[in-house]
Order: sequence, then C-alpha cells, then structure tokens
Amino acid sequence: MLFSVKNVSKAFKDNQVLKKVDLEVNKGDVVVILGPSGSGKTTLLRCIDFLEKADGGELDFDDIHTDLSHASAKTIEKVRKKSAFVFQNYNLFANKTALQNVTEGLTIGRKVPKDEAIEIAKKALDKVGLSDKYDSYPVQLSGGQQQRVGIARAIAVNPDIILFDEPTSALDPELVGEVLKIMRELAGEGITMIVVTHEMKFAQDVATKVVFMDGGVVVEEGTPKEIFTNPKEERTREFLMRILPDFNYSI
Amino acid sequence: MHPFHPSYVFTVLVQLFPYIGVTLLMMLGTVIFGGAIGILLAKAKIKRRIVPRAIAEVYTYLTRCVPSIIMLFIVYYGVPALLLQFGININNFNKGVFVITAFSILFASNLGEVFRAAYLAVDPGQREAAVCSGLSEFQAFYRIILPQAAVHALPNFSNMLVNLMKEGALAYSIGLIDVMGEGNLLIGRNQGSYTLETYLGMAIIYWALTYVIELIFGKLEKNLSKGKKHATSVA
Repeated sequence: MLFSVKNVSKAFKDNQVLKKVDLEVNKGDVVVILGPSGSGKTTLLRCIDFLEKADGGELDFDDIHTDLSHASAKTIEKVRKKSAFVFQNYNLFANKTALQNVTEGLTIGRKVPKDEAIEIAKKALDKVGLSDKYDSYPVQLSGGQQQRVGIARAIAVNPDIILFDEPTSALDPELVGEVLKIMRELAGEGITMIVVTHEMKFAQDVATKVVFMDGGVVVEEGTPKEIFTNPKEERTREFLMRILPDFNYSI
Repeated sequence: MHPFHPSYVFTVLVQLFPYIGVTLLMMLGTVIFGGAIGILLAKAKIKRRIVPRAIAEVYTYLTRCVPSIIMLFIVYYGVPALLLQFGININNFNKGVFVITAFSILFASNLGEVFRAAYLAVDPGQREAAVCSGLSEFQAFYRIILPQAAVHALPNFSNMLVNLMKEGALAYSIGLIDVMGEGNLLIGRNQGSYTLETYLGMAIIYWALTYVIELIFGKLEKNLSKGKKHATSVA
C-alpha cells in the first residue's frame, strides 16, 4: 500500500466535518471520492496535504508515518514534496507565466537546475496541450487552460500521488471535457490519484475505487461497478438517484 | 504692506532647495522605522493570535487619535524626560531624531494598514498552491505573495508618503530646519516682508515633490504589474 489515512477527524467550531475517516490508496489507484456538498470530501483532501489541520488521525505515505494533528514542519514539507495538489480554483501564481508556474516547484521547491526545470516544464505543458502558452500569464488564459497549467504544475514534479480537489467544478461546461481528457490520460499512465469530483462518468470509467462520503463518514466504498450498479447502502442509492437521472438498481 | 513681487518667489525656491534633502530624509527615516513597526502590526493583525493582535489594535487605535503636532511635542519633551530617569541625556540630540521618532510612531499604524490590506488582496489560494508545490512558507511568501502584495500596496503607499510629507512640515514647530523651517527663518530675516512670496515658494516645492512621488509610483505600479489585468503579453 502506497498511502493511507486512518481515523481522520476535523471540526470547524461545532460542525464535525470529518468523523474518523479511513482511506487506503494503492500505487496506480485512481480513487474517486463522491458525495453531496458538505460531506467532507474536500476537507479530507485538504487535511491530507495539511492545508487544514486535522484534529486527529494518522497518515502513512511510503516511508512517512505521522500524526495528522501534530506533524512537524519538516514532515509536512516531506509529504508535500512527494505529492501534488490540483485546486478547484486553479490557484495559479498570478505574477508568473504558465512556464514559471510549473518551474517554481522544481527550481525553488526541489532545487532542480533551471535549464533542466524548464525542459521538464515545457514537456508537462506540451502534454496538457499548451505548447503555445508558455509565456502567457494566468489572466490571459481561459479557465480550462488555467486548470491545465495547474495539472502541468502537478505532474512536472513527478509526485507519488496527485490530489484533485473538484478540478472541473469552476469550469464552464464546454471546458470540462478538455480537463477530464487529460486526467483520463494520466490515469491511463498509471499515475496514482485521489479525485474529489462530481463527474460521474469520469468516476465510472476511470476509477479503480469509488468512495462515497456523506455527513463526514465513508458510507460505502468499492469498484465503480459495485457502487454504480449495486450500491449496498440506502444513502448511496439516494445520492445516485438524485445525480444520475437514468440510475436503476434492483431491489 | 509692500507690493507683491513674483520674482521673489524664485529667490525663495533657490534658497529653500537645499532643505528638500532634510524633508526627504525625514520621510525616509519614517518609512524605514515606521515601516518596521507597521510590518509587525500587519503581521499581528493577520495572524489573529489573540495577544499580539490586541496589542496591535490598541496601538493603532491610540496613535490614530493623536494629532501629529501633539505627538511631536509628546516625543520631543517626553522621550528625553523618560530617558533621563535612566540617566541617559539626549537633550542635545538632532531634532530630526525626535521628528522621525514621532512620525514613525504615528505612521506605523497607517503603514500597517497599507501592508495588511495589500497582503489580504492576494488570494490565499496562491499560498496554498505554493506550499503544495514544495515551497516553504517563507519561500511562498517571498516569491509569490510579496511581489503581488507590493503592487497592491503602491497606490496607498504613495498617498501615505504625500500625507507624511505634508504633516512633516509641522516639524518646524520643534525647531527642525527643513523646507518649512527654513522658510519661516527666511520670513523672520526679512522682518515680515515677502511673507506671501515665501509661502508660495514653499507651496510650489511641496507641489513639485508630490508630483514627483506620484510620477515615480505610477511608473513603478505599471512596471511591476506583471500578470495583472491589462498587462501586455511578454511573448
């Protein structure tokens, strides 16, 4: 097993957002987390990368073992250097070009020599179809292009795992496809990822494991086939019925 | 009263010109020391830890209510009196030291607000993206947040500089010989003649300084606005 978290808990004031959540990810897995708004999916992802400080829980990631609530700055940096995060709102560095957005984590974060970093960054941008946008600033790019830079920034550092936080939720509908296409390609290459999304088709086609969360707990997990055609839990069924108009299940 | 002599305005300009340096030094000193306090204030308010934040709020509140001229006198009389309690005599220090101290105390809160607003104007998501990219918190601040915050700060900062320059004219009241101070001496030496010409000359100097400040900051803002809207493509 490459990666796992156990007993992750997190409350914002009185609102218990995560209630002892476990998650396991094997190398090459595409784990898709589904669930209604407020179910804690995004918070779970953010706790994993220490963007939120969990109240409790443990993280095992390769040779790293740490408490999520008391991790040292050094451990946090180590986890972040082995992983990458793709944000809902892209969060590109507004003062840097597309190319610089990608090289930043290499030259500054990982001390890769500049020339080498530029080579890697160009390859990553080529891969997401932005060969003609190296020198564009984020404001000059469409949402879909910005998110593709975000993905290039993630893959350029060759992470062991990429965390996607609703990567298509802020996009215009006609731009969603271009981002999902790239994510499908990455999955095809065996890149390990955890994806929080509302794209059911993506989950059905690409996921190796689907995790359904609701009310701060993992309600059910399984292969896409198990979850989409034969969910065991009532809550999962209700959710799928609401979201998939043609969802049928046998009683 | 003697007739108005426009040409004397020019004479005043020539005589006051060397004292612009004193005014600029006063501003520079205030920006350095007031800026240092301002950074601490901004940090205390952003970090939201209860004790530093309360201190910063109280500091801002207290200093915001004091007119500059009162602060000048409080510092001018108060600091030497206070230090004398510890056996330190600073009565013959340069007047500029007191002026810079007083204005640093006053403008620290303004500067702190300028810094804080500029910092908050940068989307916090960029800090998150930076640390997730493997940058340390300091690198994320220094390389991503600061360059953008600095651009946001420029217009307010330049406004504040102009204000400081104008308030700075009050420093003559404790005997600092800057543009205003020397202008007053001139009037005294002329025994009240050419008073209007002298004040007009001073006004022109302050107007010119304001113009230069705004010109410099306008240019800076334009040049540093990399990646902001309407910025031209580098490609």
